This record gives sequence, C-alpha cells and structure tokens, in this order.
Amino acid sequence: MSPAGGAPGTGTEATDAGAEIGLVFDQAVVNLDALQRAAYAVAAEMTVDIRVCGADYVCTLFPRGPDAAHKTLQHRFRAEVNDQVLRVRIAKQTEPLRNLVFALAFSRTGLADGDAEGPA
Amino acid sequence: MKLERAAMALPAHGWQLLPLRFHRLDPDSVVLTNLVGEHVFVTPDELSAVVDGTCSDQELLARLRAAHLIQVPGETLPAELLAIKLRTRMRRLPDSTGLHIFVVTLRCEHTCRYCQVSRQSAAKNEFDMTEETARRALELAFRSPSPQLKIEFQGGEPLLNFPLVRWITAEARQMNAEYGKDLAFVIATNLALLDEEILGFCAKEQVHISTSLDGPQDLHNGNRRRPGRDSWQQAVAGIRRVQERLGPDRVSALMTTTEASLGRAGEIIDAYAGLGLHGVFLRPVSPYGFALRGRGGANYDVGRWLEFYAAGLDRIIELNRQGVPMVEIYASIIAKKMLTNADPGYVDLTSPAGIGIGALVYNYDGDIYASDEGRMLAEMGDRTFRLGTVRDSYADIMLSDALLNPLTESITLSAPMCATCAFEPYCGADPVFHHATMGDFTGHKALSAFCRRNTAVFTLLLRRMRDDPYFRDLLWRWAQ
Repeated sequence: MSPAGGAPGTGTEATDAGAEIGLVFDQAVVNLDALQRAAYAVAAEMTVDIRVCGADYVCTLFPRGPDAAHKTLQHRFRAEVNDQVLRVRIAKQTEPLRNLVFALAFSRTGLADGDAEGPA
Repeated sequence: MKLERAAMALPAHGWQLLPLRFHRLDPDSVVLTNLVGEHVFVTPDELSAVVDGTCSDQELLARLRAAHLIQVPGETLPAELLAIKLRTRMRRLPDSTGLHIFVVTLRCEHTCRYCQVSRQSAAKNEFDMTEETARRALELAFRSPSPQLKIEFQGGEPLLNFPLVRWITAEARQMNAEYGKDLAFVIATNLALLDEEILGFCAKEQVHISTSLDGPQDLHNGNRRRPGRDSWQQAVAGIRRVQERLGPDRVSALMTTTEASLGRAGEIIDAYAGLGLHGVFLRPVSPYGFALRGRGGANYDVGRWLEFYAAGLDRIIELNRQGVPMVEIYASIIAKKMLTNADPGYVDLTSPAGIGIGALVYNYDGDIYASDEGRMLAEMGDRTFRLGTVRDSYADIMLSDALLNPLTESITLSAPMCATCAFEPYCGADPVFHHATMGDFTGHKALSAFCRRNTAVFTLLLRRMRDDPYFRDLLWRWAQ
C-alpha cells in the first residue's frame, strides 16, 4: 500500500468511514515500537487498535470524547507517531553514549567498593 | 580569523548526537534537553537538520556542543562532563534522609475544609505522641546517613503538645553531641496558640516557623475554620510577632488552592507581600484525605489550576519589576533543576522518588510512613506506605518492600513516556500520587494529572525564559 495523504516521512493513509477512524502506516517507514509509544502517549484523547495487514500497520482510532473531530484526531496521532519515530531514532543512535555516561557516573560513587556501610 | 572559524566549522555529518530528548513548545519552537536538563531552543527544521546531519548553522552547532547535545566523534570530554553532572545531581541519594517529620499530636482546634488528616478534638490526649515513641523515633532519625537533620513538628496542631516539642528538641540536642549533625527544627503551626513562652523557646533553639496563609481574610477564614472565625487574624498576628521577635526570615507561609482561590491569584500574592513575606508556593490541593470528601475545596481540574498559576506568576513578575522581591517557590525549585546541577531534593520532583530517601514521617502512634502523603492515605484506610513502627530497626524500615517497591517501580528513567520526555530531568516519580489516583506506583502518564500539571508548568517557564530576558534573569536568581 502506498502512502496517500499522510504526513511526509511516515507513509500513512487515512480512512474515515462513519464512526471508525483509520490510519495506515507503511511498515517500511514506521516501526511498531514507535506506533505503540504513540498510542500510549495519546491515551487521554483516544485509544488505538493496531493490526498488521500485509506490509502495513492498520490503526483504528477510538475517540474518548463524543465531540472529537476525526480529522483532528488523525492529525494528532500522526504527529505523535512522527515524534515517536524521531525519538526512537535518536535513542538508537545515542544508546551507546547514554550507557557510557551512566557507567561513568555510577562507577565512581563508592557504592560498589564495599566502603559504603550498609544500614545495620 | 576567517581561517580559524573555517577550521572550527563542523561539516555535514561532522557531529554525533549525545543522548537528547525534545519537546515541542509551540508550532515553531522545540526545546532540546540533555541527560541533566541543560537545554537549547531550536526550530522544528533545525531539529531535523541536526538529527539528519545536514545542519550548516555553525552558531547553532556551537550552542549544541556547549550544552552537551552533540559532540565531535572521538571526543571523550562531553561524556565525562555529563557523568560528573549526573553524579552531582544524584549525590543526595547516599546521604538520605534529611527530613524527619514528627506528628506530635493529631489534635487540632481548626477544622480546615481541605485538611488531609483525621484531626481530633483538642481534648483527646490519646492522639498525642508519647516520650517513649519520640525517643525511639529520634534514635532512628539519627541513624540516617545525612549530615543534615531537619526535625519538623507537625500535627494536627503541634503546639497543642508543646511540652513534647520541647522535650524532643532537648533530647535531639543531647543525642547530637555524639553524632555532630547539622541539626535544624521547624514547627508547622497555624500560629493560633503562639505565646511568649513558645516564642522564647523558638528564639533560643533557632526554630523556623512554617505556617499556612491562604491569602486575604475572607478566603483564608472560609477555608480554615476555627471557633471565633479568626484564623486569618491569628495567623497574621503570629507572623508579625515571629518576624519581630525572631527575624523576617524565620517564618514562611504555605497556601493551598481551593476553588475559592481561583481568579484571586493576584490578591493572594499581594497579601503575602503586604506581610513582608518574600516567597509564595502556589500549591494545588492534594488528592488525599478530607480534601476529596464533600466540600474539601478540590473541585477544579488541572486546567483551571494552571490558569491560576500563570496569573500568579504574572503578578510575581510584576512585583519584582517594581522592586518588591517575591519568589514563587515551585518555580524556584524547578529553576534550580533547569539551570544548575544541584538537586533541591523536593520530594515531589525527584527520581528516584523522595519517599523515605528525602523524608520519613513518625506518626503519633509510632507508625512510620514514607511521606506525609503516605500518612494521609493511611488516614483514609490505605496503609501501602506504612514502612513499620519505631520499634523496628533502621534496616527493616529502609529496606522494607513498602519502601523499595514504589521506589524501584516508579523511577522515571525507565517509566513509559517519562524515559523519553524532555522534562524528565526536571520532574519526579511521585509514586504516592499515582498510587492514590491510579492504583499503581508508576501511573499512566498520559492520563496523569501530575504529568499534565508539571508538563504545563515546565512548558510555561521555558516559554517565558525563551521570550522574556527579564524573566530568564529572575529565574537564574531564584535558582541560586
């Protein structure tokens, strides 16, 4: 399925059939981790059902409020997915340095040297 | 000069991202933060270009390097500096626990509408702490590794059991001859019972007074009811007496926001300024105890509190511009976390959480709680945060599942949403709030009023820092 009407870079396709609000993401562009993180982050506004369909992730959005505009929810979720894709990408690039910083920080606390008395 | 600048310029893909997180402040503005909260404002396009390795703005790249958000491949200094700063922020952990709260009585002559504890009438002495319980509590307090010990007397109204306040203070001084800790005392009182004897004691022992002032007379007396309907008059008279006798810095006041406070932020702050108080803590009502029952004053949502907070901050900035020094305490705590490497150790805004590590509460009956809010939950029948009793050993208390489970389960560096949030270095875990409101220590942050309130406050402060040089300077001063 090719991207149509989606945000640049995420390869999405939107459907709006009655009460059901759909968004389709190309698996080659968006990974499941980012989608799940996005669904978690928008939980105050909607719940999201994610299914695998061929080369796509098919997301169905269920608004929590009765007055939520479908287009607004689609834009909100798509924007959140874009941000989560970027966050996953940054985290992947920086993970070794993050681990290094934490290792440097906590290797010099003395807590592991046996010189810190434990509570009696 | 041009050659030097050219030599320093970073080519495309000539940098490496350091661990960074971002938050969209506005459609055209993003804040980037590093592992310890140092931040830089960029545009969305600049963020993309930096991550893609295509940014050619050397001035921006220099700022990002200075803030440890990017580095040149092969550099080792940025990671070492970040590690030092991270360790500095965490240095409070091995030095736990600094604050020890003694609930010397549950008795109180006030019936405040938002009171979070089950106050008892002033005549029921069975709700007083005994000397034996206090002595055991002191022995535990002095076992804390912290070189500073602050003993805070709370209630009920602690001055209804003033003989025990005096006894604990003397006993603590005597025990400290062996331990040599930096010892401080605070009485959290409504000041209605203040007299010359108590003032003399506070002067001699250098006791700090923490009181409640909800703002103008009608608002305060509407919230804080007592026989005679004169709580405000008693508080104001008491504040003035303490200022005159002990000095202006020996008394501070706290306010609680009820729905009656909304729309009156300016009046509340002016009431503080009129009394010569230089700090106000614009606190929402806590979701514990009587505050949730009936007419507890908690009938407003996060959005309405944020409007109140923003209006209050406006008035405080205006007063400072006029030369009247006034600090919003919550913003000053956040400013310290945003602009320095120090962690003020404020219990709600730390991770690992401040429960137990930052404070221990000794109830009148000898039960020990991980925080004051944990004690309030127990008054509602939920004893999740009861760590044990004063008869238990220090190790049993500090290594109890009741303390370690909420601490480990709520750490923000591994909590969903928090781990990737740009505000994580400024924020806290608060397992008590999330347990009380959601039934688990971590909480679902997308649905959390704690997350919504703090995200909005951080966003508000950052936007104003970005747009208003005066406010940025003011926050820097508050952070010192």
